[in-house]
Amino acid sequence: MSDLMLAAVTVRRGGRTVLADASVTFAAGRLTAVIGPNGAGKSTLLAVAAGLLSPDAGSVTLGGEPLATVNARALARRRAFLPQNPAIAWPISVERVVALGLTAHLPAFGDLPRRYGGAIDLALARHDLTSLRHRAATELSGGELARVMLARATVGDPELLLADEPTAGLDPRHALDAAAQLRARADAGCTVVVALHDLSLALRIADDVVALKGGRVMEAGAAANVDDALIAELYDVDARVTRDCAGVVVRFA
Amino acid sequence: MGAAGALVRPMLAALCLAGCSAAPTVPRSSGRPVRVMSMNGCTDQLVLALLPRERIASVTTLARDPEYSLLAARARAIPTNRGLAEDVASVGPDLVVASSFTSPAQLAMLRRLGFPMLVVGDPGSPEAIRRAVRAVAAAVGERAEGEALVAGMDRDLAELARAPGPPLAVAAWGEEGLGAPAGSLADTVLTAAGAHNVGVGRGGRADSIEALLALSPSLLVTGDPRFRHPGRHDDLAFHPAIARRWRARTLVLPEATVICGTPFIGRVALAIRAQLRAAAARRG
Amino acid sequence: MSARPPLLVAMLAGLLLVAAAASLLAGELWIRPSEVGAALFGHGETLAGMVVRELRLPRLVLAVLVGGILGLSGAVLQGLTRNPLAEPGLLGVSAGASLGAVLAIYYGLSSVLPIATPLAGLTGALLVTGVALLLARGGGTVTLILAGAAVTSIAGAGISLALNLAPNPYAAYEIMTWLLGSLADRSWDQVALAAPFILGGGALLLPTARALDALALGEAQARSLGIDLGRTRLLALFGTALGVGAATAVTGAVGFVGLVAPHVVRPLVSHRPAATLMPATLAGGLLVVLADLVTRLVHVGPELKLGVVTALVGAPFFLWLVLHLRRTAP
Repeated sequence: MSDLMLAAVTVRRGGRTVLADASVTFAAGRLTAVIGPNGAGKSTLLAVAAGLLSPDAGSVTLGGEPLATVNARALARRRAFLPQNPAIAWPISVERVVALGLTAHLPAFGDLPRRYGGAIDLALARHDLTSLRHRAATELSGGELARVMLARATVGDPELLLADEPTAGLDPRHALDAAAQLRARADAGCTVVVALHDLSLALRIADDVVALKGGRVMEAGAAANVDDALIAELYDVDARVTRDCAGVVVRFA
Repeated sequence: MGAAGALVRPMLAALCLAGCSAAPTVPRSSGRPVRVMSMNGCTDQLVLALLPRERIASVTTLARDPEYSLLAARARAIPTNRGLAEDVASVGPDLVVASSFTSPAQLAMLRRLGFPMLVVGDPGSPEAIRRAVRAVAAAVGERAEGEALVAGMDRDLAELARAPGPPLAVAAWGEEGLGAPAGSLADTVLTAAGAHNVGVGRGGRADSIEALLALSPSLLVTGDPRFRHPGRHDDLAFHPAIARRWRARTLVLPEATVICGTPFIGRVALAIRAQLRAAAARRG
Repeated sequence: MSARPPLLVAMLAGLLLVAAAASLLAGELWIRPSEVGAALFGHGETLAGMVVRELRLPRLVLAVLVGGILGLSGAVLQGLTRNPLAEPGLLGVSAGASLGAVLAIYYGLSSVLPIATPLAGLTGALLVTGVALLLARGGGTVTLILAGAAVTSIAGAGISLALNLAPNPYAAYEIMTWLLGSLADRSWDQVALAAPFILGGGALLLPTARALDALALGEAQARSLGIDLGRTRLLALFGTALGVGAATAVTGAVGFVGLVAPHVVRPLVSHRPAATLMPATLAGGLLVVLADLVTRLVHVGPELKLGVVTALVGAPFFLWLVLHLRRTAP
């Protein structure tokens, strides 16, 4: 378990500065929610943190080791990444999709060793997919697909999990399920980074929060510290954060 | 004007020529033209054979190509045309020799332009060759030369009839598979030389290597090796199985010798007979 | 993991053997099964022996190699682009390779250096495949197919022009062979020329299997799984160019094999891209062997070109596929 640290990361694309001088630490074993308006640079931040995008300036280190120097396959074994709006090109079975999460664990030649069969079964069970294991992935509903993707991401028991809007388009029940799964991963010791639009959900499950606006990190700290002022500044909208025994709710004017 | 009417008879004659061979129309002009223009590769041969260079105004570009012309050397100094009616207008000959294979549109154009014209069919047999040579000779005022050429051909053919070559089984093989079909000049020459053309009369597709292997002729008749053009047809014409099998058993019959009916076919057949005798000697 | 791929491979291999046997026996000269053994292994100069060893066997070997590489390339390109309509024929690769080969053969280069033929085909294929893969990333399916059609037209016009201008006056009549493909009268010379490149191309294409599986989740996820996408694309590019380029240089452009073969086997391997590679190779070989057999057995007029037969099967399939995709996709 190691900290994921971004130091002065800058990303430019097509003349625009998408991320400017971002310095963030994603602490080990904690769930960090990345929030901010559309176009703030959340997806870019996640891609850089996952090691899939090289910043134009700054560095990314995992437990002190620069991400750029880590072998791609070795990194793939430790880190799972879920992009926005995942789609599956061929009608392969759900079980097969989950198994793909173990691609980096495949030996040079041949199929997965038998011992991984258990990991797949476990991932399927954990995300309530056992009855769907032989269903074609292209025939799944939005909620089912989201569960499958999470199962795919967690099957290899990564120490780092980054998810970009995993609850997009999900109804409240499925969104809560997905959020609960992410929380469970964090509780098990995984470093989880999630970009979320749903603020109530974000504050509900997150230990830490990173607020991005216009490519800059406005705030980075404990989720408990998120207040009305921050949300108002972030989204240019009056907001009220209410914390009570039922949980956390963010209301907008 | 009566021009339209005056054109009708020659036109009908020309139309009849398209079907039959060598019953040419006689030109209306003088008996000894000094600027003769030939519009077709085969009429080139006849014109070149009968006339001295000074009296030939133009021949086609094919006349200089040794792949298709027996008299290519003679044609080198003579201006060339592309066989188009426009070329006639610029040359201004006093006799145009065209073939019945010239397109009817071109023939019609030439008549409209008013040039004295002789249309010759493509002769496919010795008899037709005699008629064509005599007709062209008469039109260019060289009857004696024409008779000499015909006599030479007849002499050669008589010699071959008297002492034909050994009756070896032969088949012509080229870019399109089996060649020298019955009635073609190639077949006439091969048969006159004494060979037995087994490629004739075989049904089915001509381009079958399996069929050739089954026919198994003693000699394979091929074109002049100097004129090989690269292309896909090489797979058929020069397939390794064939090349190996008949490597030392080929008989060369250059395209230039049989593509047109000329009075030289007698000489050609004599050359074939010599090759047949040499081949028989090698085997025996 | 599922045991079905090995079973499918065995079945396809078996079918291929049967088709191969038929291919050796049938033709203008029907050879009895009892004669085949002597024909294949005997040294005598019997007619059957010559026909089988010099004519039918090289033709059969070439059919398997060409069909195989087309099927394999189609499977890889479909997996890489995640597009069920991708294949070397539709993308214009075969046409580009034909153009390269025509320039080499008819302008004397290959007479001097026989290996110029597959090399020229390879170059033509490389250029076109590169363009196609570039387009596949940016635009959608329609762009890709349209670009392929455009390239095929341009290459076809180029071939026609090259043949018309060639020194050989009969060259222009051979355009059909280049645009529709033919295995007629191929000899061991051509097998020796093309086989190393075809096998080399296959060797570059087969290792993309794992990447293709991961790509089912999209490029971002595939990369996050440790797949080197750049390397995968290069392998697909050079494998296709090498294999299909050399094959086309020797047979002309054979269409639709790379489209049909992967589609036929995909449902039988649960749609797993990696699992389609070997079966598509065998299915492609089977398809071409059978098509070639048809061209030899049908006796209407001049020789039926190979591409005509594959198009008779492939074009309706292509149409059905397009309609099917329209119905299922948004």
